[in-house]
Amino acid sequence: MSERDIDDILRQAASEPHDVDPALLERISGSIRSSLAPVRPLPPAWILVSGLCLISAAVAFGGAARLGLYGIVKLSDLQTALIFPALAIFTWIAALLAVGQMTPGSKRRLSPPILLTTGSLALVAIFASLFHDYRIADRFVPQGLACLIAGLVHAIPAGIASWLLLRRGFAVNPVAAGLATGTLASLAGVTMLELHCANFEALHVMFWHTAVIPLSALAGALLARTLRSTRP
Amino acid sequence: MLPDADLGTLMARYQQGDSAAATALVNCLSPLLHRFFLVQCVSRRYADDLLQETWLRLHQVRQTYRPGEPVLPWLYALARHVRVDHYRRTRRVESREQQVEQLPEVPTPAQRRPDSSPDLVELLAGLPESQREVVVMLKLSDMSLDEVARATSSSVGSVKQKAHRAYTSLRQRLAGPGLSQVGPGDRHE
Repeated sequence: MSERDIDDILRQAASEPHDVDPALLERISGSIRSSLAPVRPLPPAWILVSGLCLISAAVAFGGAARLGLYGIVKLSDLQTALIFPALAIFTWIAALLAVGQMTPGSKRRLSPPILLTTGSLALVAIFASLFHDYRIADRFVPQGLACLIAGLVHAIPAGIASWLLLRRGFAVNPVAAGLATGTLASLAGVTMLELHCANFEALHVMFWHTAVIPLSALAGALLARTLRSTRP
Repeated sequence: MLPDADLGTLMARYQQGDSAAATALVNCLSPLLHRFFLVQCVSRRYADDLLQETWLRLHQVRQTYRPGEPVLPWLYALARHVRVDHYRRTRRVESREQQVEQLPEVPTPAQRRPDSSPDLVELLAGLPESQREVVVMLKLSDMSLDEVARATSSSVGSVKQKAHRAYTSLRQRLAGPGLSQVGPGDRHE
């Protein structure tokens, strides 16, 4: 039996009229009509993506300005030219994914877990290629924890503002949407750390700065999962 | 079924609060959705429930449709979500319920036949759920590979692979006893 034969069988099955109870259709139409009001469609994706990128930039620069721009002052031109464009591209892709997750039936270019993994590894690779001081300081953990906490603290407002911007959307997969939004929010935290932190020990930057990304993404996914399971 | 451009126009009017457009959409899209649920091997009554629930959800989030975009991927993405959500909720409720000694009689596929479209349900019954939904969207709703990929949140390659596997299984089923006697020309006579 050829593919065409199977196609014919399926097409015949499809051409058979499929009736739905008219009373049920009337009930559905009635309930829709009773609460029918004009709604404004979601703005184009590029507007939402730009809004999310602006939120990330505002949180990162605002936070770093408040804490002190010690990092960017100490970074070399090459380091600045590689780190910030990489973070900007990562942020833009994460924003694109977050918007896609909140729009049912939109085109999927990448899944949030893949973005999280490849993006984090790419950042680690960039940091490894730019920072070569592999000494471990006595205060490796306390200094690292301070950076991790500062990064996560800045990811929170970025996450809340992103959620506010995307709240009119609808996630068919809330966990993936939470993961994408958490990743996006984390990048505001990491960008803030790169602007602020003047500790250029390779392991500090590679481990503690990058750790903000998976932790924030995980928090976003867990939050979305909890909200979904509490929904009636 | 209406072409996607017409569905898009109806959706835009529905978003503007046009009740005639809303009724036209319900009448036009409900048979597609109902069949989509029925082919997932659920009873007709369960398919009715899922259909109602899908329209309720669709109505709540109708602003997420962007005029100019294809309607069917958006519609099926929501329908899949409702089905999964419904299944998850049912399982949660079932896990909290106490088992009774005598289980009530539930309709078997054989008992369900007079109510549903038996040929299609029977034909696709042996396929895994993910392949079944791909076949329904591609062949019964005339969606493109890209549209099915959008609806199922997957890649075009993955849709192609599922369709290929589904066709291989269907070929084996149709070549086997029972279904094999029915050729493409005489299946629905």
